[in-house]
Amino acid sequence: MPVFSYLAYPVRGAKEELLNDVSALDHCEVMPAENEEVLILVTDTPDEEKEKALQKNLRKLKSLQSLGMTFGHTDE
Amino acid sequence: MNITRRSFIKSLALNSAVVAAATVFPGISFGAWKETDILSGGIQWKKTPCRFCGTGCGLLVGISGDRAVAVKGDPNCTVNKGLCCVKGYHSVQILYGKDRIKKALVRKNDTLVEVPLKEALDLVAEKMKETIKSHGKDAVSIYGSGQWSIPDGYAASKLFKGCIGTNNVEANARLCMASAVTGCLTSFGLDEPMGCYEDIDNADVFVTWGNNMAEMHPVLFSRMLANRKSKTHVKIIDFATRTTRSSQAADKSILFKPQTDLAVANAICYEIIRNKWVNWSFVKKHVSFHKGKTNIGYGTQDHFKFKDKAETVDFKEYKEFLKDYTPEKVEKISGVSAKDIKYMASLYGDPGKKVTSFWTMGMNQHTRGTWINNLVYNIHLLTGKISTPGNSPFSLTGQPSACGTVREVGTLTHKLPHGVVMQEKARKLAAKIWQVPVENIDPKPTYHTVEMFRALDRGDIRFMWIQVTNPMVTMPNLRRYRDGAKKEGRFMVVSEIYPTPTSDVADVVLPSALWIEREGFFGNSERRTQHNEQIVPTPGDTMCNTWQLIEVARRLGFKKQFPWSRKTYIEDIWNEYIQFHDNPKHRMAPYKELKARSGIQWPFVNGMETKWRYNAKYDPACKQKDFHFYGKPDNRAWIWLRPYELPAESPDSEYPFWLNTGRVLEHWHTGSMTRRVPILHKAVPESYVEINSDDADRLGITNGSKVKISSRRGSIVMKASINGRGRPPRGMVFVPFFDESYLINEVTLDAFCPISKQPDYKKCAVKVERA
Amino acid sequence: MMEKPNHKEKQKVGRVFLVFAGICLLAIPFVVLSALNYEPKESKAALVETQSQDFDQNGKSIFENYDRISRDYLKGTSTERTLGEYYSRRQYVGSPPFIPHKVEEADEAQVECLACHARGGWTEELRRNTPLTPHPEQVACRQCHVRMTTDKLFVVNNWMSLPPPRLGRSDLPGAPPPIPHDLQMRGDCIACHVGPGAVTTIRVEHPSRGNCRQCHVPDSYAEPFQRKPNF
Repeated sequence: MPVFSYLAYPVRGAKEELLNDVSALDHCEVMPAENEEVLILVTDTPDEEKEKALQKNLRKLKSLQSLGMTFGHTDE
Repeated sequence: MNITRRSFIKSLALNSAVVAAATVFPGISFGAWKETDILSGGIQWKKTPCRFCGTGCGLLVGISGDRAVAVKGDPNCTVNKGLCCVKGYHSVQILYGKDRIKKALVRKNDTLVEVPLKEALDLVAEKMKETIKSHGKDAVSIYGSGQWSIPDGYAASKLFKGCIGTNNVEANARLCMASAVTGCLTSFGLDEPMGCYEDIDNADVFVTWGNNMAEMHPVLFSRMLANRKSKTHVKIIDFATRTTRSSQAADKSILFKPQTDLAVANAICYEIIRNKWVNWSFVKKHVSFHKGKTNIGYGTQDHFKFKDKAETVDFKEYKEFLKDYTPEKVEKISGVSAKDIKYMASLYGDPGKKVTSFWTMGMNQHTRGTWINNLVYNIHLLTGKISTPGNSPFSLTGQPSACGTVREVGTLTHKLPHGVVMQEKARKLAAKIWQVPVENIDPKPTYHTVEMFRALDRGDIRFMWIQVTNPMVTMPNLRRYRDGAKKEGRFMVVSEIYPTPTSDVADVVLPSALWIEREGFFGNSERRTQHNEQIVPTPGDTMCNTWQLIEVARRLGFKKQFPWSRKTYIEDIWNEYIQFHDNPKHRMAPYKELKARSGIQWPFVNGMETKWRYNAKYDPACKQKDFHFYGKPDNRAWIWLRPYELPAESPDSEYPFWLNTGRVLEHWHTGSMTRRVPILHKAVPESYVEINSDDADRLGITNGSKVKISSRRGSIVMKASINGRGRPPRGMVFVPFFDESYLINEVTLDAFCPISKQPDYKKCAVKVERA
Repeated sequence: MMEKPNHKEKQKVGRVFLVFAGICLLAIPFVVLSALNYEPKESKAALVETQSQDFDQNGKSIFENYDRISRDYLKGTSTERTLGEYYSRRQYVGSPPFIPHKVEEADEAQVECLACHARGGWTEELRRNTPLTPHPEQVACRQCHVRMTTDKLFVVNNWMSLPPPRLGRSDLPGAPPPIPHDLQMRGDCIACHVGPGAVTTIRVEHPSRGNCRQCHVPDSYAEPFQRKPNF
């Protein structure tokens, strides 16, 4: 079960929007910072296929500027 | 991936991200978003009463897999309504100390070696048989605890009193609540407070009598503060021998000289009578007057015996007796100004004010503990301020189940679950429920706790089983009792969770299951029983105390009396136990209800809790209108004429200081659990001696410098604390007893109240010098 | 004739100098040794010393404030006072913040400060909620709190300090975090953690509780508990 965590940087001024967009995605849990323009994203997908699909969906988000991975774990 | 591993990995992921964020954005905060919101998918919440004080907060323990990982206050528990204190919030960490005892130990060639649990249990049973054969049944004993779960105490009582036939059953609640018990019994004929915690929400005035409630019953203290905040006229009076956090919060802090609480309580009654504040309609119908013996001694010698003799008197004699206790006379001995005494009396006497009095160890650990309990009840009886919401003389319990186990199951030398061993009727009832011949139950009590350890020292007791308590730290005049336990021919069995000075003297150490590792029941100060199921598995070879007793009982041939199965024994024991209390004055709730609800008060009659006893409006056991004090044969509450008498040992020219001992918020008793919790240890890592700053100046002592405290019994060197959270007055020092590297009880005195047999840990004479 | 005294003078000076130099030479090894032995205290952000008992006896102010302050104030939730702004007014954690607003030069400056800062509330003039002082018993305010009257530095300073304590230090999820700061002059929790004038990030969600210290205890550097059996 792939588990990853990221710092998610929103497009300028779009922190709220990004928060809503990511919360709507499956297998995603978000924790927004109160005083900075960044969110923490923890993903937990059941298999590689869903992980790939999630990655695609994240890339499509207009409110997301960049993702910095901070932790990765796959059960191999 | 199972749930535990998955949450663990997710928590790693989350923490990595948090650390990275903090590096990139110093000062970043995630505010209201708690990590649990991400991980909470893996957390299950189960209810339990808290492991610590007698408040009996309801907790929800968060479980992930088979580990306890978090704590919340149980919002459904009326005791604390979702709030805890720092100990409660970190209570689950007590399960995971590195040196947890998980294997049975037996002493071979002077060291404790690991053995299979079965071998240890066999040895315990064998030694018991041997001791009974060579020295008689009264050579074996069990010393339990107010932190025993109710089934533990029940099994112990049944085995020792019912099967073996000895009354050598005692518990550490003798050192904690015995005076409260004898106070209740002498004033009302029945044990335990008649009010409940709702009194806190209803009172207009609170008086704390020598107890540091802010640190010792913090959640109830908060409830008191919330009441005061919501109604501007509410007053809190702290009546104590030293200044504490409770004094800081009080509207008025009144200091008195140790032991003079007896005189002040009488002076308050004098004032109530003089100002015509007596509630005559109440007194005429519901109160009678009595006196007992005086000059009753202190119990410092072996075989000390005392039996009080009650004599009925009348109000006239009571009023005459109080003439020695005018505020002006009492001011001279107590250090409390006549003005303050009159002020306190006016609060009690004001018919428009509801008054709740609280007390714990200041009044109980007292060589006249029974008397001072009587005297505070007297104040509430004279004014009729009792058994109604907000009017409450409330004895707070120290331990989580001193009420539930020791007092209600009766694990004391003279008690049975219902009644006392001296009554034939009570013995017959016990024999019937326990399925033992009635001749088994000995009608003569043997030893109270201090005398039991003296008997161990003398050799009259040869075998002692200690469960859930640490007497090698807590016995007063400790050296004698520790040396006694270590003598040849004494076999000590200790059921423990961590290595302590008590397990250090053991011949057998049985690894015990702790708290939520076993199903159990606790009973708190306000007569509320709370149930917890087994929430986490038992580690290693640990075994619940109840089952240890059952295993040994079966090896002694008592399978018939201990037939229960491992799966349902706790429920079975509860069902057997509550038969003893099956009457409207004491009925206990059924197992199913207790399992479902966050605590139920007894008496539990027709599906309703009795919140205020003796008041016909709330108590179905009353057979009179208005109030009915059905505990006493004359159906009245008793006012006792109790005088002021000196303490056992007062400061003199050679030993000019009072030594006072007690606790701090962060640590529970001897610290065997709380010192292994990081946040609690770091808050108070080491014990110290509180000393008044003027005294410190005079003696050349500075904050943190070493001080030697010596008494006629022993001495100890500790670091000084000046102007810390507690400030004693001149001529007194205070030492908290949670630190086993500072055994302050080597210095204290084993004097006790002759009626309750509870030792006085608050008063002995010491000298203090720079070390 | 004048030479001789001079010569003697010089000799005296010379001797004094030699003695002084001798002492310095002797002292150098001690200085060097002690410098080598100096171990800087563990640099962690602002934790209190082991068992800081000082200032615990001033807890009365929390209880007094708790009673005095209105329920409405306790519930205040304005967000203008951020942690960043809070630290920007201080040189190091625990230092007295400078005065960020205009002040009248008055004869009795101390009394006027407390008119707003002991009571809190909304000030129309500055369109802000007033922060409360945790130490209103100190009345000579201008002895520690001063105005920044200019932006320009005289000489740049290489000042660095320790980072402020990180947030979220609870031992268990949802458990009450320990107090990461000294209690000296910061013993009144309500001043900074409750109400509209509080720092948003550290504002508590349970302002109606009055006995803070029953759950929040001071953190320290103490070594973990190690048993030393004294059998």
